[in-house]
Amino acid sequence: MIRPNNLIAALDAAPANRPFITYWVDEDERETVTFGEFAGRARRQAAVLRNNGVSVGERVVIIMPQGISAMATFVGAMMLGAVPAFLAYPNFKVEPSKYRFGLAGVTANLRAKAVVIDEEFPDEMLGHVALGEEAKLLRVGAGREADGEKDFPMGDIASESLAFIQHSAGTTGLQKGVALTHGAVLRQIEHLRGVLKIKSNDATDIIYNWLPLYHDMGLIACFMLPLVCHLPVVMQSPLDWVMQPESTLQIFTECKCTLAWMPNFAFQFVPRRTPQKRWAQYDLSSVRALINCSEPVRASSMLEFHNAFSSIGLKKTALQSSYAMAENVFAVTQSEIDGPSGPAVIWADGQEFRGAHRIAPVAEGAAGAVSFTSSGRLLPGQLVRIASNSGVALGEGFVGEILVSGDCLFEGYYNRPDLTAKAIVDGWYYTGDLGFLLNGELFVVGRKKDLLIIGGENIYPQDIEEIVGSHPAIHDGRVIAMGVYNPNLGTEEIIAVAEVEREEDLAKAGEIETEIRSSVTSGLGVAVRTIFLKPPKWIVKSTAGKPARSTTREKLLQEHPELSAEN
Amino acid sequence: MTPEAQQMVQYIVEMIRKPGVTVEENTPLVSSGLIDSMALVDLLTKLEDITHLRIPAGKVQPKDMDTVEKMFATAQRVGKPRAVKPLDVPPPPRR
Repeated sequence: MIRPNNLIAALDAAPANRPFITYWVDEDERETVTFGEFAGRARRQAAVLRNNGVSVGERVVIIMPQGISAMATFVGAMMLGAVPAFLAYPNFKVEPSKYRFGLAGVTANLRAKAVVIDEEFPDEMLGHVALGEEAKLLRVGAGREADGEKDFPMGDIASESLAFIQHSAGTTGLQKGVALTHGAVLRQIEHLRGVLKIKSNDATDIIYNWLPLYHDMGLIACFMLPLVCHLPVVMQSPLDWVMQPESTLQIFTECKCTLAWMPNFAFQFVPRRTPQKRWAQYDLSSVRALINCSEPVRASSMLEFHNAFSSIGLKKTALQSSYAMAENVFAVTQSEIDGPSGPAVIWADGQEFRGAHRIAPVAEGAAGAVSFTSSGRLLPGQLVRIASNSGVALGEGFVGEILVSGDCLFEGYYNRPDLTAKAIVDGWYYTGDLGFLLNGELFVVGRKKDLLIIGGENIYPQDIEEIVGSHPAIHDGRVIAMGVYNPNLGTEEIIAVAEVEREEDLAKAGEIETEIRSSVTSGLGVAVRTIFLKPPKWIVKSTAGKPARSTTREKLLQEHPELSAEN
Repeated sequence: MTPEAQQMVQYIVEMIRKPGVTVEENTPLVSSGLIDSMALVDLLTKLEDITHLRIPAGKVQPKDMDTVEKMFATAQRVGKPRAVKPLDVPPPPRR
């Protein structure tokens, strides 16, 4: 097989009649396109973009609901040699003015030439937003797609030219666009094809996806991988999925999907939110690998999923894990697929782990022991180093920051040399994740960066703190937001602690809390679980006079044992 | 408020477990941050129970579930009579 030089060449090599994307709405509504039909739709979108002045190297921002049209627009932009980026579709919870502000910032940073939205895009979300000097707003719909010409000469796309930009976090991080070349994406996919044991030229694998396409799991694993490997993918929107998690079981059963990726919480959400009396209607024997990715992997969540569905054909070896990030295109590690067991789980002495940051293996379930689930071995061409706080490389069994390098690493955040210089030093990307290597496998234990991962989505605590601190009753700057793991959900929940300006404000705590809760949701689209209002001077300050995150967290957990009781 | 709406309000109050919070028929639930979107599926299941309708989730957007009033309007709009709820019919044997 000839190796394609770019993603478009890879798509063009696909058998035209093979099914590519099935968009699943619910049990009685779905749409399927073949590779040939998809390429045709993408070509028509390319013509529309070109007729609107988009050309080689220019950025195209796509804000459309999850679906075939959005995907065809993305590929259409790449066909022109332009550089597309998916942005999240506005969530109805988010206030239009906040949305417009964010959109203006992102399009200005990307210096976008076109912003493509769908016909149903809510007008109030746009207002008179300035999209940057040259950006043009295009409304695309099923009807307008046909406007373009079918065929036109395509320029040659060089392997090391930019293919697209993927964003690495949901909020402030929207401005952190990870720019990736065709070559880097193709190298990642070749490595994935190998470790996932996907057979070339043979669509025996079918991918299932409900993840958003603006997230690396959705974009790389569930769109670019099937595009390059010519595999069918059954896809639904994350919104439809969250309203009917049972559809995961329905789709695996009906479409006989073999591969899927999900964040940790979904391994609990699906069994808990599907009535047990209906489990027996489904059949998960087709699943070859269901990969836990993008949140710390919890053995208990995987076990819950397995215990629920082993009686309907789910193989224990089908539950797998991976460590991935947008900055490395996608995966750094992958546990062994089709191996004798799932990812390794190890037990270590708790005191040694917390005190000496060292892994001292002990027997399973020993008193005071902690357990970790492996994220697997490195993909070919990838390098990992574990570094101490002072930057010294640590040996196996020592916990430190995970640094990543290799042949898929991004070259920088688009238009943000300041952020790039902080993130990549001497060719190593500082992930901000903490972990250790043992027996050649990587174990991820938590975060060094103050980042919350809620249901697989990255959220910066500073964004929450800023909104909470802007409430008139709150002492500005005296707020700490943190993620506290909730074992019932299998993910973190947002907890905020804030000092009131005057102690007497505490009498109105309920009212203040309601107002804060509502402004966090309208600003960021996420819900805060609990807001703790405290009297002035409650939050612990560092020597520099800033709120000290970890000490305040410990103080809060001590005062509210109900929080840590769940850990 | 109808007895059905009252039943739903009661369920929501129990679900959010926050003292002092009152829920009316038009209280925003998801957009106010009172309820997380991961709990929407529970509200949908409860709505099916109360209305005795089958509500196809693919036809419902989170914004359609933001208040008790909207939930019942949504059930009216997309709900199907229970007699044709395919999921409760035992499936044909597979393989």
